[in-house]
Amino acid sequence: MQNLLEIKNLKVEFHLDNQVITAVSGANLDIKENEVVVLAGESGSGKTITALSICRILPHNAGIVSGSINFAGREMLTLKENELIKIRGRDISYIFQEPVSFLNPVYTIGNQIMEAIRLHQHKNKKEAYEETIELLKKVKIWEGKRVFQSYPHQLSGGMNQRAFIAMSLACQPKLLVADEPTTSLDVTIEAEILELLMELKKSLKFSLLFITHNLSIARKIADRIFVMHKGKVVEEAGREELFKSPEHFHTKELINAYERIGRI
Amino acid sequence: MTNYLIRRLLGIIPLFIGITIISFAIVHLAPGKPTQIEQALNPKVSQEVRLRLEKLYGLDKPLHIQYINWVVQLSKFNFGRSFIDDRPVAEKILERIPVTLAINISSLILIFLIAIPLGVKSAIKAGTAFDHATTVLVFLLFAAPTFWLALLLMQLLSIQLGWLPISGLKSLDFEYFSFGKKILDLAHHLFLPIVVSTLGGFAGLTRYMRSNMIDALKQPYIYTARAKGLSERQVIYKHALRNAVLPVVTIIGLAIPGLLGGSVIFESIFAIPGIGRLFYEAVMSRDYPLIMAEVVLGGVLTMLGNLIADIAYAYVDPRIKYKS
Amino acid sequence: MPMWIRASSIRVKKRSPSHHVTKSPVTKMKKNPYLVIGILIIGLFSLIALLAPLLSPDDPAQIDAGNLLMPPSGAHLLGTDSLGRDLLSRMIYGSRISLIIGVIAVGIAVFLGVILGSLSGFYGRFIDTLIMRFADIMLCFPTFFLILAVVAFLEPSIINIMVIIGLTSWMGPARLIRSEILSLKEREFIQAERAIGASSVRIITRHLIPNAAGPVLVNATLGIAGAILLETGLSFLGLGVQPPIPSWGNILIEAKSTLGIAWWITVFPGLAILITILGFNFIAEGLKKIIG
Repeated sequence: MQNLLEIKNLKVEFHLDNQVITAVSGANLDIKENEVVVLAGESGSGKTITALSICRILPHNAGIVSGSINFAGREMLTLKENELIKIRGRDISYIFQEPVSFLNPVYTIGNQIMEAIRLHQHKNKKEAYEETIELLKKVKIWEGKRVFQSYPHQLSGGMNQRAFIAMSLACQPKLLVADEPTTSLDVTIEAEILELLMELKKSLKFSLLFITHNLSIARKIADRIFVMHKGKVVEEAGREELFKSPEHFHTKELINAYERIGRI
Repeated sequence: MTNYLIRRLLGIIPLFIGITIISFAIVHLAPGKPTQIEQALNPKVSQEVRLRLEKLYGLDKPLHIQYINWVVQLSKFNFGRSFIDDRPVAEKILERIPVTLAINISSLILIFLIAIPLGVKSAIKAGTAFDHATTVLVFLLFAAPTFWLALLLMQLLSIQLGWLPISGLKSLDFEYFSFGKKILDLAHHLFLPIVVSTLGGFAGLTRYMRSNMIDALKQPYIYTARAKGLSERQVIYKHALRNAVLPVVTIIGLAIPGLLGGSVIFESIFAIPGIGRLFYEAVMSRDYPLIMAEVVLGGVLTMLGNLIADIAYAYVDPRIKYKS
Repeated sequence: MPMWIRASSIRVKKRSPSHHVTKSPVTKMKKNPYLVIGILIIGLFSLIALLAPLLSPDDPAQIDAGNLLMPPSGAHLLGTDSLGRDLLSRMIYGSRISLIIGVIAVGIAVFLGVILGSLSGFYGRFIDTLIMRFADIMLCFPTFFLILAVVAFLEPSIINIMVIIGLTSWMGPARLIRSEILSLKEREFIQAERAIGASSVRIITRHLIPNAAGPVLVNATLGIAGAILLETGLSFLGLGVQPPIPSWGNILIEAKSTLGIAWWITVFPGLAILITILGFNFIAEGLKKIIG
């Protein structure tokens, strides 16, 4: 089966005043269709930057120096901005950590979801509204009308994250990139969101690139796991394989740490 | 939000009392009674007459009684009578308010129309030549005294080019003009004061807008907006701008003390009969009922301005309007 | 505008590697041009003010009936005013007035502000409410109105002006000090220090002053600029520094009546004010950058 997404030798740098910092010095990653790939590693290992590079939504002082990102047969790094816009939110969607910060505080939830719908589909306001309510139902939000009219600060973290997921799935993406979506949520909510994501993946059929530093989540949901350390992908393995026989020393460190805390 | 409103409105009362106390204190704690100063200016006024005047104005009573009397009169909107021409102070003020209001509202509108787009554009093009040029301009306008700018503009536009009248509100034969010509004449005379007032004010707002916009563009929700596939234009003008502009609503209220203070000077330069000039004249002639009234007025207007600013912001920011 | 950099076309500035390098004074200066320019300007003007008697070509009060309203020339570099006095000399002495008034007025404001702000922050509750309410009330008045009202009843003199501006500007520093104290009270390491018995003096000197000094300094610098603007405005209206003592503001009184005849009387004092205020604003910007 051909890969849905293939990242080869990605190198990304940051320019700060007089310094150049290499955030990602060699990332290699691939995802197949309908697969769950976990990108694991500690803070600062470059996981988020790698993920943001796929659609080139990096901070303005970051630059992709070299490498290749191939999505569904197209080389992303040579696409122009106006072509990328058509892919963002439609073929590839993102969800982030701390949904309340990543949602615009001055627009209602409904407004922001409708924006996602009408950006890529020709629907009038009424149709978009109805579709928004349907989407909210899919993420198990039954009080659609109330949530539609609410502002992010009025809802709980879990509620916001579900709404965010609904927004990201509005145009049936082939790839959903989730950057630590449960890290800031309470543990019980975390479990709900993870279950929801896996259910949705099954029913809507998309690939999930899940970024986390939490190996126990990786063990629960991943088909394959990539480990990043200091800007490089240092190991790739199937789920059980990784935990049974880790090869790179950093992977071993991570697994050891978790075993010590008793999480695994 | 209603809680917030109620608390805010209740807070007005002690503020108002404080304003009256300070206004009263300023005038009465100065050495020498107001009537003594009058006597100093006009030596023909004998001791007897002075004592009679004091009795008339209640100046012989103890201070706190004077204060209470004064506040009671204030609540009846009786601001006393001017020392100069014995006309009711309220009347003198009211007839001059429209002009000051007209100039200040016009310049406020202009300031907003110029500063907001300028600030936004500077933020978007941060670091470029445009941004640097704007920053320099803003610094210069900040630093230049408004009355000096007024003088320079007068020199240029009124004297050398003769385009605009030097001072006053109306031409000498204003009464004979047709309605249309009257409007034109007023506009002609008000042009410079409005321009000067605007120049003095838009620098600050531009910088404020710029820094708000830069902050907004750094927020996490901007990543979300881009990830959804919005064009850069939409990201800036739909998502960032709305957040950046919110606090600007408060500036409308907060600009009032600055505008009032500024109007004293430029109304004097341009000989515009507004309340700023009235205050200046009152100070020069030690017309103390008028001075007290204007100080209280200034305080109350500022207080109201702050109140409006806070309420407007609470209304416009959903995080305060709908407390979770 | 964010730049989306494509894989092929990136100009990477290969400068120093990612470890910290101590920078030479020259590099530091280049990185904070505002501070440098500001200090140069104010330093220069302060020097001029200090050395006024030496630098001034003529006696600023010297009336010269034969040379009324002369444009700038070799003899009078900035021209003369309507009494024949040399403008340059008047402006040099005027710099003294403006700077002294500015600095002392702000000194008074900061002194009062620190005291009131500290009382407010340390003792809290009733005293805090009282002082902050007082500040709120004072802030309700347009500063100019307040000052004018007071000046109406006191003779305008240099000392009076300094004191009045000081008395009406303490609210800014007071609030800064108070909020710094309040935030320190909350911070955990202060509670830890108190737990090990550190004295208040130690907390003040090691934590309060370093943290509060920055914002207060910025506030004070801008305050000096504001005070100078206030003084020039007052003097221009005839309610500030009285002639014959020269102040940039009262030199400009003549400007109105000599518009069109003697441009130098309008332009030069105004420029001097502009540059001075600019200098202080630059220093404030530079300080803000250092504080971060």
